[in-house]
Amino acid sequence: MRLSAVKPIALVMTREIVITTLLLLGVSFVVFVILYFSPGDPFSVLLQGQMASEEARMGAREALGVSPSWYTQYVSWLVNMFQGNFGTSIRTGLPVLGELIRTGINTLYLTVGSLLVTLAIAIPIALYSSVRGETVFTWPLTMFAYVISALPVFWLGYIFIYFFMHKFNVFPVFSGTGAKFSWLYSLLPIFVLGIGNGTTSEVIRYLRDEMGRVMSEDYIRTARAKGASVWKHSFKEGLLIPVTEMIAAKIPFILGGAVIVEQVFNWPGMGRMAWQAAQDRDFPVIMGIAILAAVFVRMGSMFQRVVYVVVNPRASQE
Amino acid sequence: MDAPLLKIENLRTYFYSQSKQAFIRSVDGVNLEIARGETLGVVGESGSGKSITALSTMGLISAGPGVISGTIAFQTNGVQKNLLQGLENYVKLTEQDGKVMHVSKNVVGWEKHSDRIMHKIRGKEIAMIFQNPKASMNPFTTVGKQITEAIRLHTKTKDPLEAEDRAAYWLKQVKIDSPRLRLTNYPYGLSGGMCQRAMIAMALACEPSLLIADEPTTGLDATIQSKIVDLLVELKGELGTTTMLISHDISVISRLSDSVAVMYGGTVVECGPARDILATAFESKHPYTTALLTSIPSEQNIKEKGYLQAIEGDVLDTINIPLGCRFYSRCNRVTDAIRKKCESHEPDLREISPGHRVRCWLYFE
Repeated sequence: MRLSAVKPIALVMTREIVITTLLLLGVSFVVFVILYFSPGDPFSVLLQGQMASEEARMGAREALGVSPSWYTQYVSWLVNMFQGNFGTSIRTGLPVLGELIRTGINTLYLTVGSLLVTLAIAIPIALYSSVRGETVFTWPLTMFAYVISALPVFWLGYIFIYFFMHKFNVFPVFSGTGAKFSWLYSLLPIFVLGIGNGTTSEVIRYLRDEMGRVMSEDYIRTARAKGASVWKHSFKEGLLIPVTEMIAAKIPFILGGAVIVEQVFNWPGMGRMAWQAAQDRDFPVIMGIAILAAVFVRMGSMFQRVVYVVVNPRASQE
Repeated sequence: MDAPLLKIENLRTYFYSQSKQAFIRSVDGVNLEIARGETLGVVGESGSGKSITALSTMGLISAGPGVISGTIAFQTNGVQKNLLQGLENYVKLTEQDGKVMHVSKNVVGWEKHSDRIMHKIRGKEIAMIFQNPKASMNPFTTVGKQITEAIRLHTKTKDPLEAEDRAAYWLKQVKIDSPRLRLTNYPYGLSGGMCQRAMIAMALACEPSLLIADEPTTGLDATIQSKIVDLLVELKGELGTTTMLISHDISVISRLSDSVAVMYGGTVVECGPARDILATAFESKHPYTTALLTSIPSEQNIKEKGYLQAIEGDVLDTINIPLGCRFYSRCNRVTDAIRKKCESHEPDLREISPGHRVRCWLYFE
C-alpha cells in the first residue's frame, strides 16, 4: 500500500462513518414509526388469548416501563442505544445486544461466504468471456449463469438438503455438538445462498463488460506494445474495482436471501431472528436487527470506497 | 549495403464485416522498407491504412476479425525473421461465387502464435509510441513504475533501483525537468506533452532497434507539437534510432524523415527519398502527393492561389475498391491518353528515378 494513501483513507473512513451515523438515525426513525403504526404490538402478543382488558394492557405497559407517546418511546430507545443498551427482547427477556452479536456473526459468516461463492463462479466466467470473446463455451457458460440466477433460493435449499444430506449423505444432517465434521454442515447453506441469491448473472455481466471495456483502453495497447503483462495492467481497473463495487451493491440482496436460507437450514442467524421477532412484534429486537443490517450494508460500501481510494491515485487527491 | 532492418512485402490486413459480407481492406498490398538508421515517414489521410500497417507490424491486430497476409521481414541479431510466419493457418475462409461468405478465425490460436513470434520483439526490438499520450499511460501506476517495468523486462538491468536510475536518465534525455520527482508522479499529474515525452522515454529506454511513432503529435497543442518534433529531431541526431514515423502532418514528416512513403486507400502510391517527394517541384510525382503538398497551409500556397487547396471527393471506400487506380475518381491529372488505363487497371509501383517509385500511369508508357 502506498504511504501517501493513508491520509485519504482516513478521510474517506471519517466521511463514511459520519454518513453511516446519519443513515442509521434515519433508518431507526423510519423503522420505529412503521412499527409503531402497524397493527399489533408486543402487548397483544404477550396477552394473547387472555381477552385482556384495556386496564390489563395499561398495566403491562407500566410494568415494562413503556412511555405513553411514540416519540418519547423513540427518544428513550435512542438514548439507550447510544449507551450501548439495545433493550431486552420482549419474548425471551434476554438483552438484545448479546443476541445481535451472536446472530450477527453467524449471518456475517453466511453472507461473506456466499459472496465468495458467487464471485468464485462469476469471476472466471466473466474473465473468460471478456478475453476470449464469442467462443463455443461463452453461450453455455452464460446460460448456466442465467439458469442458476433464476433458481429460487428456498427451492434450491430443499433440493440440496434432499440430495446432499439424505440421499448421498455428503454433509452431516445436524450441526450438533460433538460430531467430527459438523462444521461441514455450514458449507451447505453458504453454497445454496451463493448460487441462489439471484445476482450471479448480473455480477458476471458487469464484470465482463468492465473487463472488456478496460481491455480496449489505450493503455492496455501500450502494455502489449511494450511486451508487458496485460493482466497486470488491467487488474486494478478491470477486476479489482468492479468486484468491490459488486460486493457493495449486492450485500442487501444477499442479506435478503439469508433470511430465507436461515429458515430453511435452521441457521441461527439474524434473518431467522428477524423472522421470529416480526411474528412476535418484538420491537426492540426488530429495531436492533434493522440497525445491524444497515451497518452491514454500509460496511460493504465503506470497503468499496477504501479500496477505490487505495487503488486510484486520482481519487485520493480529491 | 546490408538488408533493410524492416521489409514489409505485400502486406494485406483485412477486417471481415459480417453485416456487409465483405472484407474491409484497410491495408491492401503495402510494400515498405526501412534501412538501419533511417527514418521513414509514412504520410496519408485518415483511413489510408498507416496505423493499421504499424499495428500489423507489432502484432497488435489479433483482436477481432483481423486477417493478415504478406510478409514482414525483420532483422534481429543478423537473422531475418518473418513476423507473420504461419498465421494463415488460423484463418479459414468460406467462399461462394467469389464472395467471402464467412470467416472463421481461431482467435486463441492466432493470438498465442502471434505472441510466440512477437514475445522477444515487442518492446525489446520494436517499440511503439502512440497518439493520445494521456490515455496511453496506465492511470493507476506511477510513471516511474511504467518505465522501470519496460527496462526490467527488456534490458540487462534487473535491479529495481538501477532500473530507476535508468528511467530517470531517460526522462532527462527527453527533456523532462526534475526527472526523479516525475518518476513518482501518476500520469494524471502530467500534461499531455510531458506524457508523450515519458512515453518516448519508455519506448527508448529498452534501446529498441526500431521505433514506430504512430501520430506522436496528434492530440497535442500546436506549440507542444512543435516541441515534441524538436525533441524527436534531437533524439534522432543523438541516438540514430531507426524510426517509422506515421503522421498525416506533412510538416512533421518533412522535418524528420530521410525517406517518405505516401499511402492512399490502403496502399503505397509513392515512396522514395524525402527530398524527391517533398520537394516543391511537382513534375514527377503521384497526383495525390501533389494534391497533399498543395493543401498544406503555407504562405506560398495561399499567396499563389488566394485560398487553401483541398482535395476534391471522399476518402476511398475500402470495401468496394475500384478496379483501376484507387485515386482515379479524385485525380485532376488524368489525360485522355491514359483515361482508359486509369479506369480499368491498377498501376504498379515502379521506379521512375533512383529509389523513387510511383504508382501512376502518367509515368509509364
